[in-house]
Amino acid sequence: MTNNSEPLISVKDLSVAFRTPDGLVRAVIDATFDIHPGEVLAVVGESGSGKSVTALALMRLHPKNAEITGSVMFNGHDLLTASEDEMRAIRGRDIAMIFQDPMTAMNPVFSVGSQIVEVIRLHRNVNKKQAWERAVDLLQMVGVPDPKARASQYPHEYSGGMRQRAMIAMAIANDPRLLIADEPTTALDVTVQAQVMEVLHDVQQATGSAMMLITHDLGVVAGSADRVQVMYASRVMESGSVDEIFYETSNPYTSALLDSIPDIEGSRELLQPIPGNPPSLLNPPSGCAFRPRCAHATQECGDSVPQMVDVSPAHMSRCHRVDELYRLAEVSS
Amino acid sequence: MAETIEDLVSPHEPPDRIPIFTAGEIEGLNTTPQSFGHLAWSRFRRHKLAIIGAVGLIFIVVMFIIGPSFSPYGFDERNIADRLQGPSFDHWFGTDEIGRDLFVRTAQGGRYSLLIGFLVAVLATFVGTILGAIAGFFGGWIDGIISQMINLVLIVPALIALSVFSKNFGRDAVGLSLVLAVLLWTRIARVVRGLVLSIKEQEFIMAARAAGASNTRIIGRHVLPNVVGAVAVEVTLLLGTAIVLESTLSFLGLGVQPPNASLGTLVADAKGSIESDPVRVLIPGFCIVWIVLCVNFLGDGLRDALDPRSKTERG
Repeated sequence: MTNNSEPLISVKDLSVAFRTPDGLVRAVIDATFDIHPGEVLAVVGESGSGKSVTALALMRLHPKNAEITGSVMFNGHDLLTASEDEMRAIRGRDIAMIFQDPMTAMNPVFSVGSQIVEVIRLHRNVNKKQAWERAVDLLQMVGVPDPKARASQYPHEYSGGMRQRAMIAMAIANDPRLLIADEPTTALDVTVQAQVMEVLHDVQQATGSAMMLITHDLGVVAGSADRVQVMYASRVMESGSVDEIFYETSNPYTSALLDSIPDIEGSRELLQPIPGNPPSLLNPPSGCAFRPRCAHATQECGDSVPQMVDVSPAHMSRCHRVDELYRLAEVSS
Repeated sequence: MAETIEDLVSPHEPPDRIPIFTAGEIEGLNTTPQSFGHLAWSRFRRHKLAIIGAVGLIFIVVMFIIGPSFSPYGFDERNIADRLQGPSFDHWFGTDEIGRDLFVRTAQGGRYSLLIGFLVAVLATFVGTILGAIAGFFGGWIDGIISQMINLVLIVPALIALSVFSKNFGRDAVGLSLVLAVLLWTRIARVVRGLVLSIKEQEFIMAARAAGASNTRIIGRHVLPNVVGAVAVEVTLLLGTAIVLESTLSFLGLGVQPPNASLGTLVADAKGSIESDPVRVLIPGFCIVWIVLCVNFLGDGLRDALDPRSKTERG
């Protein structure tokens, strides 16, 4: 779709490791991906698979004890070597972030409007009155009813869904080129989740910004993403377009993940969970990290970590047996 | 007379008017938005003790300030003939050994005590809040140095340090306030440091960072406003402590020096005659208790008023 354009952000061999008293925890290993202007990239994975750390590393907001290597090219600069002042100018203006829990992501002692005003005035030379008007417009845009009155209310006077809308308004306040949404609906009611996703989708369409959508909800992915990147135990396992991931799955982990989704129309069979637990990042299994839980694992899988291989242009999978398991099947079907 | 539940409920008769609420009414949206100051004031007003404290404090301050002008006597005016009188119409609080009017002296001493209390509270709060916030926010070696400073001050026995320092520069209100502030900033610093340690881990700090805010801005706009409530309480406790400590010092003869007087020196002057003339000790003592109590009540109310999360019933 937009793959022929110049990428907006280009991540290459990004690795993040934490030095802990128990040893080195490698939270992200050699993540390589591009996000193109206007594109929605969904990053999917279980808790602890490195999704959020990847996103925080893009904005250089990772914890201080993290060791980070690789490169993140944005606008001709490597964000990993940019100065703190440069990063401050980029954060909130070019790259904005929506956090998981709207209950705690707003300062309780300031009104919602004044918090949006602050974000605007951090990056734009406008007076308070203009910024306030823009804040009200933004709240209107994300569907907060009666935005004029609501702007001067405090976060605790908002419901969870409204607060997340306000967070979205804050994130798009400066028309960012990349919006990072870190599990934006996880902390919300199921009924509200759909509304918030819709707002997010509309806003992304309206502003034309690219979006990195971190989630573990495959339903959300199917509904709103252009491309998908599946992560497991710090590594990207498979990446491709939504259709490729859902219908031409080429990785055992992705297929296990898809199998574990309850099917609303399907038979009333038991869910098919993935057996076992995610591996400890302190002491990962040898070879492919998914090997202990994989139905197709062989001797080879324990010997070396598989490389990302092309299944088709722009569709890549990290599996030793990708040829025999998936390409043959494609041919025969 | 309703006999059964059915009589009471009568499901077939519709009520005259089914109340219809708009979403706005239910969520309280249609109330006019109120400013923070307005809301804080309305919460404060509802806090009975705080109002008592505020009124009590204003009363005694006004008394101390304008009281002496109703009396014909100067604060250092001696009138040996009238010495050691009890309270009378002429001398409202009586007179001391050399015939000075005790009402005027109490007002003067009270002003001095309050002045020192406020100075100490302002100085110690300023230093304590800034150092505590820096220590908590940046952590690491900065925190190490500041925390060791706090510990150092805390282990110094207050009275001994005060008696040494106040000899050299505790002669006037500013000097004495400085000495007291040096000893008292640590409590606020520790409270602020602890609060900041927990606040900085909250997601809105990360969100502010993600919006491009600098450390200074994050501390000033996102961290400190969240400790104001707790600091308000500490300030009032501090004000009380400072007044008591100053009185203690003055009582021991180390604080305010004659001819100036504070509530502490007034108690000290009268202590010899506590059995024959207890009123002379009781009056300045009562003033100390009055001020400290009022200030603490006030602090309690301020904490509740300054927290925007506390509930406000709207009329």
